[in-house]
Amino acid sequence: MTILQQIKNKVRARSIHVAYVDVGSCNGCDIEVLACLAPRYDIEQYGIFVHNNPREADVLLVIGAYTPGWEEKLAMVWEKIPPPKAAVAIGNCPISGCLFNRRESFVDPPVKKHIPIAAEVPGCPPRPTEILQAILLVRDAVFANWEGEHP
Amino acid sequence: MKRTVDVNIPLGPIHPCFKEPARLKCEAKGERIVGAEVELGYMKKGIERIMKGRPWQEVMFLAERVCGICSVIHNMVFIEAMEQISSIPVPPRAAYLRVIANELDRMQSHLLANFSYCYTIEHETLGMYLLDLREQVMDELERLTGARVTCAYMIPGGVRCDMPRHNAEILSGSLDRIERDLRRYSGMFADGPMIALRSRGVGILTKEAAQRAHAVGPTARASGITTDGRLIHPTYRQLGFVPLSRTDCDNYARVMVRFDEIIQSISLIRKCLQDLPKGVIRGGGVCKGGETRYSGEAPRGELTYFIKSDEYGRIVDIQIQTPSIMNIEACCHEMIIGADSIADVTATFVSADPCIACTER
Repeated sequence: MTILQQIKNKVRARSIHVAYVDVGSCNGCDIEVLACLAPRYDIEQYGIFVHNNPREADVLLVIGAYTPGWEEKLAMVWEKIPPPKAAVAIGNCPISGCLFNRRESFVDPPVKKHIPIAAEVPGCPPRPTEILQAILLVRDAVFANWEGEHP
Repeated sequence: MKRTVDVNIPLGPIHPCFKEPARLKCEAKGERIVGAEVELGYMKKGIERIMKGRPWQEVMFLAERVCGICSVIHNMVFIEAMEQISSIPVPPRAAYLRVIANELDRMQSHLLANFSYCYTIEHETLGMYLLDLREQVMDELERLTGARVTCAYMIPGGVRCDMPRHNAEILSGSLDRIERDLRRYSGMFADGPMIALRSRGVGILTKEAAQRAHAVGPTARASGITTDGRLIHPTYRQLGFVPLSRTDCDNYARVMVRFDEIIQSISLIRKCLQDLPKGVIRGGGVCKGGETRYSGEAPRGELTYFIKSDEYGRIVDIQIQTPSIMNIEACCHEMIIGADSIADVTATFVSADPCIACTER
């Protein structure tokens, strides 16, 4: 690994921008993501900045069970994010549809079918600490030595 | 009549200020907003369609997931509607514990709404204080019910778990702390000159306009309409509940009404803890067939369930009317019109505390 790459890794590990997109959840996971901002969990002490602007984001938190209103739009949001990027599925809904994945429902889970998902956090809803841990693990797994693997 | 519009400004569905996806299309003339329309449809899951034909044991968990922010009230209204159909009595201790859970939920929902408003007007310090205070309320909710968000605390004929005496003491201790902090923060909001510049006289919803748009909840109470679903609830009547209202009609009033209601919730919980009756928390009962319409006061306003069940307790037909749809209507057709800048549009929209998840279900 070159020195430049080492510097990049070190800097990038402390500047993760996060955007979240709700593709049809009950709001429970949304507020747990918001709770990560609270001084108790303090997401910014890890250098993670919740911004909700896809064009500046590194990590996209996907919440919800993929409703028809998001067809094409979620992929558009995903394309707007500059690489290196990773998507994290928060809650049971993007993984399996949770209890919305029944007969007569409009949802189309899992979100994995529509955009590539790097990590999944199960729970209905997951605790803020679990969301925080997932973002930190994704940071180490996806962004370290990114240029080395994508010359 | 021909209307001159300079520019159409779409806000959303992904926007830094919105918690949930909604598209707000504003028509601006110069910087002034002359018209606004909200476009929904990003969250439609068809939850009422899933509910039909399922036993109440499943539907009670689905009802809770109509809205994750105010899940306790959805649980409460659904269970009390089933109790009304099947004439199941509730033990007095369980009725009081329900009120405690519901008021804790209202406190965290209002704190979140006020955090969103402070965050939108870029007063991040006060927003973070409120979010930290909300975590303390969430701790109390977790200590009482066992879960942070979707707790399924109420069941027909009672509640799921009791509150031991030492937990009641911890709760009253934290309520004192929360009230002390909250009075300080609401004082900061009330006296802040910069906050007043962003909030006072912005997003006016007059009493007549609120009545025309059928505004409910804190949005209506900030416009001088004293409507509150808790007035007809038997346990709240025992506790001597009186609704609050303000007559300022602007963003400032809507946020202050929520602050006042949190303090009112604290005093309601204190009263519950003081006269908490002894006895069982579950009386038992069988859910039967019938149909009813039942309303309760959610943090955002009146919530109504229309339920029709068969003799085995299965849900044949269910219709849910959630409060946010009226408030969104009032917001985009009355409050936003005449806003002086686009920055006021997001602040006004957030001040009405719209919940898109329960609007679309």
